[in-house]
Amino acid sequence: MKKKIDLLPYFLVSPLIVFIIFLALTPAFFTTIAAFFKVQPLNPPTHFSGLQNFRDIFSSAEVVSSFGNTLLYILIGVTLSTILGIFFAVVLQRKFKGRSILIAVLILPWALPGVVEGILWTGIWDANTGVLNSVLKSLHVISHYQVFLGQNKFLTILAIEVVQVWQITPLSAILILAVLQNIPDDLYEAATIDGSNSRKSFRHITMPLIRPGIAIAVVQAIIATLNIFDQPYILNGAASTANSLAMETYAVSFTNLNFGQGYALSLLITIFTLFVSVVVAKFIYKKVEY
Amino acid sequence: MIEPTSNRKASPKMLDAPKVSKRTKGIAIALSVASALGFSSLGTPAKASAPVTISVVLAAPPLPASMLAEFTKATGITVKWTQLDWDSLQTKIAAAATANTYFADATDVDWSRVGQLGKLNWFLPMEKYVDTKALASDMPQLGSFTKNGHVVGIPYDASFMVSTVNKALFAKAGITKMPTTIDEYTADLKTLKAKNVVQYPLNIPFAAAEGLSTYWYETTGAFGGHILDAAGKPLFTDPTSAGYKAAAWMVNAIKTGLVPPGNINVADSQGQQTLMAKGKTASTFSDYSGNVGSLYDVPASSSVVNQVQYLATPGATGVASNLGNPDGIGIPAKAKNPEAAAKFISWFTDGKNMADFAGANGTAHTWVGYFFPSRLSGIAILNKKGSIIGGDVLAGMLKNSAAVFPQGAPAWYPEFSGAVYTNLHAAAAGTMTVDAAIKAIGAVATKLSSGK
Repeated sequence: MKKKIDLLPYFLVSPLIVFIIFLALTPAFFTTIAAFFKVQPLNPPTHFSGLQNFRDIFSSAEVVSSFGNTLLYILIGVTLSTILGIFFAVVLQRKFKGRSILIAVLILPWALPGVVEGILWTGIWDANTGVLNSVLKSLHVISHYQVFLGQNKFLTILAIEVVQVWQITPLSAILILAVLQNIPDDLYEAATIDGSNSRKSFRHITMPLIRPGIAIAVVQAIIATLNIFDQPYILNGAASTANSLAMETYAVSFTNLNFGQGYALSLLITIFTLFVSVVVAKFIYKKVEY
Repeated sequence: MIEPTSNRKASPKMLDAPKVSKRTKGIAIALSVASALGFSSLGTPAKASAPVTISVVLAAPPLPASMLAEFTKATGITVKWTQLDWDSLQTKIAAAATANTYFADATDVDWSRVGQLGKLNWFLPMEKYVDTKALASDMPQLGSFTKNGHVVGIPYDASFMVSTVNKALFAKAGITKMPTTIDEYTADLKTLKAKNVVQYPLNIPFAAAEGLSTYWYETTGAFGGHILDAAGKPLFTDPTSAGYKAAAWMVNAIKTGLVPPGNINVADSQGQQTLMAKGKTASTFSDYSGNVGSLYDVPASSSVVNQVQYLATPGATGVASNLGNPDGIGIPAKAKNPEAAAKFISWFTDGKNMADFAGANGTAHTWVGYFFPSRLSGIAILNKKGSIIGGDVLAGMLKNSAAVFPQGAPAWYPEFSGAVYTNLHAAAAGTMTVDAAIKAIGAVATKLSSGK
């Protein structure tokens, strides 16, 4: 009997495919090509320049500085958002009164645009009128207002990344929670009968089984932190103390109008994102399978 | 050993696909195809007979609804007004123009971007839509918006940089004679601090943004110099130059506690609103003309009403000139309704309307944050009605105002300005010396002006 092909699934995914082709793959293709061209509207003509854009990028002190800053954003952001994500997921796994409301509140920062969050947190970190300074001074923790942003590189990046962690942790928590809820209760019951306490159960049952969720959470955190833009831009301007790779791409492209270098930087960020994401995902999934 | 969740068997119930009727399938397919293809029709232009709506995007709050309604009634054109912060707006203009796509029908043409916009032809030549020759005699700053013989935008306000002082705080420190030189001004600030009238008397916005560059240009002018020569080469690298002294004076001000340490991340408007308007600082050396009337004397936004006044900018040897900072409006090359946008711009820059925006005809027509009409006829109406707060002082300053770049802003200005504000910010933050910052800014100017 001839097998009938069901076209419905193909039609249903067709909008997504069209969007991916036109809004992701096509620009990615042109960006890859243009990264090897000199594209400067103020200094025409456009011509093939080989690897010159990449050489210029790596000889730029601003780009090198932004690369270091971005690695710091990734390190702080991924670590904090993953730890907090696991914590919130474990808390939310248990049924308690007001759990649904707590989930809704938890998801709120994730739904807010980064620019809005940056403006909100300006009111907290501000060294002249900020809430944090006001509270710390009221509690006599500090004698005079402190400058959190713009002077010390590590403190500035930490303060900015805290804002992003506040934004991305809800997604990490939800991703891990989804996996957590698939773990059958009988595993914990069996472990308890065998004499395991809750700490041991968490370590030997929960942690190994939520690794797929952690892997996805880590990958999304890497992507988010690698592309951090709104928070440092709002909280610290274009200063080199905390400028990120995405900010540098923006400055090179839209302030300096050097699109060739902008394309090259974008391409490097994309390759780096793919590489790190694949390595992290593979590494964590492998751990689960033994 | 614990079995991973992915290896557990799925229940038969999970494997059963729900049955879908042919009708449901048909609807789903139709919707999918429609949504996949339908987006292409989103950009279809409105029919010619339909009422025209234009998009106006400026770094300013909307005009009073009553004024916009009058324009719509007279022309049939509805204005959709969007306000963006200045820095973001410049990016959006650049992004849309380079992507060759529509952004707005009328938008900001800042004096500092005229060189770039003129070279790149990102805006339509205004002389094609407006009688710019007739405008020139009534609009002194129109020349600053002209590049290669084309008028890139029409100035809609004649804002310029001014110094402001909180006279009540100065008086509290026993200062009754206002300073006329930068040395006297610095000494007065130190007195304010020493007498503990305010902890930090001076407001300088050290955030790495355009406002910091502007502040340095004005201070350089006060020290009696210019930033670039006619060829675009730096004039500020020598320690005896005005630009160098201005940078050193600004950085020294934050290091010696005249400027709040937190200002390292304060932008210009933020400092005006949260420090000057709240009496936390006593002076802003490079403020914006019109801020007394539109911010410091507005009870809703200020706690220093009737306390702040304009000060003839103290210079190296006496009163210095004020640098122009006019805002213009133009029509992007990809505007959907250039004719309608031109009608709006003509109305928007009409002398009588500009006088109304500045408060000549009551609060209903007053445009919040508007500084100063760009047309002499508009200023004449205001003067006649006595409607300009600090009008006498402002009029005197306007006569004495000068362009930041007498030879016109270079096409590479944005990249230069980026170097200015990032390096001055770093010097203020203490991560580099003033000398190193000036050298870095000078190197960028030298490179850009040599066309490399």
